[in-house]
Amino acid sequence: MNSNAMQPIGQAIDSSAQPEAPAATILLVEDEPVTRASMAARLMRVGYRVLEAENGRVGLDVARRERPDLLIVDWMMPEMDGPTFCEAVRRDPLLKSSQLLLMTAHDQPAQIAEGLVRGADDFLSKSASKQEITARVLAGLRTSRLVRELETTGDKLKSSMLLLQKKQAETEADLQTAATFVQSLLPPQGSPVHGIALAWEYQPSLTLGGDLFGVMAIDADHLGLYILDASGHGVAAALRSASLMTFLRVENILQLLGSYDPEKVLFEANRLFPLSADGEYFTLWVGQFDLPTHSLSYASAGHPGALLSSAQSPSRWLTRSSFPLGFDPSAQFASDHVSLKPADRLFLLSDGIYEVPSPSGELWGRERFQEVIDAGKQTSLSATIASSFSAARGWQQAQQFPDDAAVVGLELIGGPEGTFNG
Amino acid sequence: MKIKERTVPQGTILDVEGDLTYANQAVFKAAVEKAKQAGCRHLIVNMEQVRFVDSAGLGLLVLASQSFKLRQAQVSMLKPQSYVREIMSLANIPQLIPIYESEEDALIARAA
Repeated sequence: MNSNAMQPIGQAIDSSAQPEAPAATILLVEDEPVTRASMAARLMRVGYRVLEAENGRVGLDVARRERPDLLIVDWMMPEMDGPTFCEAVRRDPLLKSSQLLLMTAHDQPAQIAEGLVRGADDFLSKSASKQEITARVLAGLRTSRLVRELETTGDKLKSSMLLLQKKQAETEADLQTAATFVQSLLPPQGSPVHGIALAWEYQPSLTLGGDLFGVMAIDADHLGLYILDASGHGVAAALRSASLMTFLRVENILQLLGSYDPEKVLFEANRLFPLSADGEYFTLWVGQFDLPTHSLSYASAGHPGALLSSAQSPSRWLTRSSFPLGFDPSAQFASDHVSLKPADRLFLLSDGIYEVPSPSGELWGRERFQEVIDAGKQTSLSATIASSFSAARGWQQAQQFPDDAAVVGLELIGGPEGTFNG
Repeated sequence: MKIKERTVPQGTILDVEGDLTYANQAVFKAAVEKAKQAGCRHLIVNMEQVRFVDSAGLGLLVLASQSFKLRQAQVSMLKPQSYVREIMSLANIPQLIPIYESEEDALIARAA
């Protein structure tokens, strides 16, 4: 046996056959030295780099170390025969996709079938002509190249995927930070001013929502209220909402307009927030509650509005048909007035709470929302709001809302029983 | 959403089929832009086969109307279904974009 079989004993000579690509490496596993030398010489003449091994065990070691492009293996060998070698290669995670050519002296159909079953890709008769050997080796190398390309593409795909997942996680974390910031701008639950209870629930459809609301003391006698809805979705809509929210801050409005008069606020907002180049806009409902007189003045710019729920009478919507912001630069927004009584509740809501489809496509709708609010007069404000969310979720048979859903409830403390159960 | 356009002597009719929503805005914008480039003086959006218009769809209609008005041109709407009509009227859209019940009415109104 050849003692230097573990080393590549033949190096490819630069050949004009494959001038550009590096020469393919072929491992020849053959115990018979003369056959091996003759086959190696033939392959090297065509321009391949040839590694030689005298038996299957050595062949496996060389294959693992050198990852040849093609393995040519003799069937009949001591210790480990060709088919057993093929099986070992197919079991090896590093080598299993190798291309295997099994060499036989007698290519009987039954033998060929056994060789294929045990892992060979093709056969090479020891008596094959020079042309046939060249053709089968080329075919084997072609397949080998395709398999390697596939493996490389798979690896690249896997690393691109990991990179993408990492980027995705970073974006999610950024959005979460932004969402936490936006949430911190929302009014704290409880009692914004003496005599008023506030509770709300907000479920953005994405991490960052475009529906925002505010409840804030303007001065000792007035409470300012608004709810806005940005058309469109995503980060752009949320950023636009945050800028409108900044505009609606009490200090800003008082400085600009001198008061929080709803129609003046809407007129100014309509001027400053035109339709975007993509046709995006806001709807906005603004109210001002006079604490000593319990009078609410409000105006809406295309917003579906607020719902007033009285202890004694059925609830009613506080809105009128009007343009959203930016639809008509010269639009006027008239204020309406309503007087609240103790224990009355005012709900500001986004259409996302009731524009939820059932699995068959039917919308839950304003009327059903109103029914839940009317049915909740005896329960606490927060429980009534919670039940509107659970009813909407039940209707759509899903936890997540398709659009931002917000319900803000205010209650004038001091019911007939003189108690507040917010 | 599918949009077929027809050229009539006094304008262009867009036969819209499906939902006019955020997801379909590119198709609608492209159709409006094409009519504008062609120098269309009266764009009639046929809403007969539109089941739903969301806030983004509403914005696109108004955007089209505003840009046509700047060129002394007009956008009209044809036969919206009742739910869509309700959404339109809540946002006062008919004041900006007239609604007609037939192509003839729309064309006559513009010509008059």
